Amino acid sequence: MDRTQLLIGVAVALFSLGLVGVIVRRHVLVMLMCMELMLNGVNLSLVTFAQQTSTTVGAVLVFLIFVVATVEIALAIPIVLLLVRTKRTLDLGAYSDLKG
Amino acid sequence: MIETLLGNANTLLLLACCAGALAGGALMLVLRQPMRVAMALIATMIFLAGVYGLLGMHFIAAFQVLIYVGAVMLFMVYVIMLLEVRESNGARYSRLLLPGAAGLLVLLFVLAASVWRPLPSPKGEIGDAGYGIAAFSADFLGEYWLLFELTSVLLVAAVVAALAAIRVGRQAAERRANG
Amino acid sequence: MLTAIVLLPLLGFVLNGLLATRLGGNRVGPRFVSVVGCGLPIASFALVVKALLDLRAGGWAPLVEIAYRWALIGDNVFEIAFYFDRLSAVMALVVTGVGSVIHVYSIGYMKDDEGYGRFFAYLNLFLFFMLLLVLGRSLLVLFVGWEGVGLASYLLIGFWFHDLANARAGKKAFVTNRIGDAGFLLGMFVLFQAVGTLDMDRINAAFSGPTLPLISASLVGVLLFIGATGKSAQIPLHVWLPDAMAGPTPVSALIHAATMVTAGVYLVARMSAVYLHAPEASALIAVVGVATAFFAATIAIVQTDIKKVLAYSTISQLGFMFLALGVGAYGVAIFHLVTHAFFKACLFLGAGSVIHALGGEQDLRRMGGLARRIPLTFWTFAIATAAIAGIPPLAGFFSKDEILWYAFASTRGGSPLLWLVAAATALMTAFYMFRLLWLAFFGRSRMTHEVEHHVHESPLSMTGVLVLLATLSALGGFIAVPHFLETQLPLPPVDGHLHAYETPLLVISVVLALAGLAAAAWLFGGTAERAERLRARFAGMHRWLSGKYFVDELYERMLGRPLAWISDRVFLRFGDRALIDGTLHGLAAIARGSAAVLGRLQTGSLHLYAGFVLVGIVGALLWSWRHV
Repeated sequence: MDRTQLLIGVAVALFSLGLVGVIVRRHVLVMLMCMELMLNGVNLSLVTFAQQTSTTVGAVLVFLIFVVATVEIALAIPIVLLLVRTKRTLDLGAYSDLKG
Repeated sequence: MIETLLGNANTLLLLACCAGALAGGALMLVLRQPMRVAMALIATMIFLAGVYGLLGMHFIAAFQVLIYVGAVMLFMVYVIMLLEVRESNGARYSRLLLPGAAGLLVLLFVLAASVWRPLPSPKGEIGDAGYGIAAFSADFLGEYWLLFELTSVLLVAAVVAALAAIRVGRQAAERRANG
Repeated sequence: MLTAIVLLPLLGFVLNGLLATRLGGNRVGPRFVSVVGCGLPIASFALVVKALLDLRAGGWAPLVEIAYRWALIGDNVFEIAFYFDRLSAVMALVVTGVGSVIHVYSIGYMKDDEGYGRFFAYLNLFLFFMLLLVLGRSLLVLFVGWEGVGLASYLLIGFWFHDLANARAGKKAFVTNRIGDAGFLLGMFVLFQAVGTLDMDRINAAFSGPTLPLISASLVGVLLFIGATGKSAQIPLHVWLPDAMAGPTPVSALIHAATMVTAGVYLVARMSAVYLHAPEASALIAVVGVATAFFAATIAIVQTDIKKVLAYSTISQLGFMFLALGVGAYGVAIFHLVTHAFFKACLFLGAGSVIHALGGEQDLRRMGGLARRIPLTFWTFAIATAAIAGIPPLAGFFSKDEILWYAFASTRGGSPLLWLVAAATALMTAFYMFRLLWLAFFGRSRMTHEVEHHVHESPLSMTGVLVLLATLSALGGFIAVPHFLETQLPLPPVDGHLHAYETPLLVISVVLALAGLAAAAWLFGGTAERAERLRARFAGMHRWLSGKYFVDELYERMLGRPLAWISDRVFLRFGDRALIDGTLHGLAAIARGSAAVLGRLQTGSLHLYAGFVLVGIVGALLWSWRHV
């Protein structure tokens, strides 16, 4: 197993952990953090491959992902705050208004 | 000898950082209190920064810590502190715990099997990158200038959206107070 | 010019139909309707006379006029063409002549009806189709006219359609006709297959030539006769004609006495070349004709409605015409057609006059003693009655006697048995017609009081026509129609040995007519109590005859009910509801069911949605293994 495979394996594992975390955890903020974990996993894989070439394209893409993650968090948190104000709980099990 | 030792040390360090990242990720699924989960995530991110650094992409490692840990996770921790008042006695897991665990195993297996194929041989050795932040910035502002501008647009849009969200929240609060 | 003859009544239909009905907003008054509705048929009649003169000037060579090429299918050309020879001339004169006078009569009869404009429009439409029928050159044009007169008949029988019984009668007429038309169509198909054309003159030429077409002429003859049975109300398709009396009386006179019902006779006469080579078909026609004549006459004896008596009388006289056709005396049949048109139209219009005078009463049991009250109607009616009974020298005597003679003596199927039945029918004809005359006009009045008060003679437009038709009934016999048609429709050869019987048979005919007159006068004169006693003694047979041999009930039970059952069970419940609706409902149910199932995916739980994402990723990866 060479480095690339190891790192890709880690990236895959981080991504899966993040996705499953979204499925199993109940707390809204914890779910958001699991989504960040997913992004990190993807980032790792990108860096692994970017590092193998001598062009800077991969690094640029990684930077863009940073920006997107920032923006995403900047908006997700206010939305969560607004939601919480109406329902007064952070338990996602209580949010099933879109049923049916 | 020093080289092999150093080489081995490099690999060991890499392994350690990977293990740390994985441990942090696994902890995220298990810990009960959100603040602790945030700490686990920060740990993961820092370990990942370590990995980036060991790969030779020092500036990306720096960005990781600066942006991800320093801005995103900080914001997250702030919000947790804002909203957390002894809410830790809520249920930890959703109804889909068992299916989720099974799904985790399946997904890991499938992803690994998909990935574990003969990868094309790397064009260079790790650590061979040969570009630092100077080359990166030059390209970013040169060849990929459009993306640069778009990121700034994106950030402005985010600011506007956040302001709008605040306004909506204020109006809702007023309505609740009056009506 | 022939095209103009045909199109003038159509113009009348269009004008009256569009302007004088509720459809067009009732833009014109009754005077316009009368002028257009009667003037155009009279113009048509004038043109027919002119065409006849042209025909004579041209040495009696048939006039052919091609109006329009209808279709070109492969090598076959189908044209709308008109053909005018002696037979067409006779028919066209009758149709336009008698038709025009009946139109004039309608001015008075339908004066206060609110459908005045519609009536004349339909009458003109009928005239158009009838002229298509008699002037058409090919069987196809004839068939168009055939169907068209059926349509006009339906519209006119059910003219007062707010009464459902009238509408039902119209429907019955149309449907019964259609059954006959199936035979007609089959005959046309066979002829086209064998001869290659539907032009009647060419078909006749093919059958007169040295080599006959390779089909059974009898088959064609029988099929065409089936069509004639429907249109001309012979057994077994005669059931519609008595019901058709629901229409206004001018309609009964024009369509169901003088012209439309004679279309079958015209068809057979026109195709005489085919029938000359079809002895079996001719025998069938003769037998059916004489049987119908006898059968209808027996029913007419006991009818109590004035129009129903005349309806059965029409069926009976048509049977006589078919008898003549069946024994090869085509020209004689046409002769009887012409005289029948005169006196039957006069009788029907006279009945209409009586009904008009009595304010709508049609039951003979409530008439009587009208001879002095409405003399003009009475005298014309009496002359026409004598004509139909066969009293010399009126028209009916000549034509009926010729038929009886040829029924006896023709070598193409004549036999003493046919003559016997026909003679018995002639006796009954005289009897029931004079019965009608006596019950309606003589004896003590049986009318209700208010009706009696209002009895009045009809206006001039009606009585004038009656006088004209009565004159024709009296003198029409002297128009030597068979002789005129002989070059085209030769009279059948007569068995030489039987010439001796000619005069005795003539005498017997006269005796029968007078006997009928005497019997009717004896039974129904005075208080008619002798008739009552006779009826009481033969009550069973009387019931059988009054019920018209219960033919309608038989048809209902044998045909009507099974068809209704099939229609309900097989087509409605099974085919329509279970199959078609069931399929659609089933499809809808499937959609609903699948929607319900799929709807359960939307639980509102984000965890589940994220789970789906996982499943999707796994699935996509697995798929990629196979295909990448």
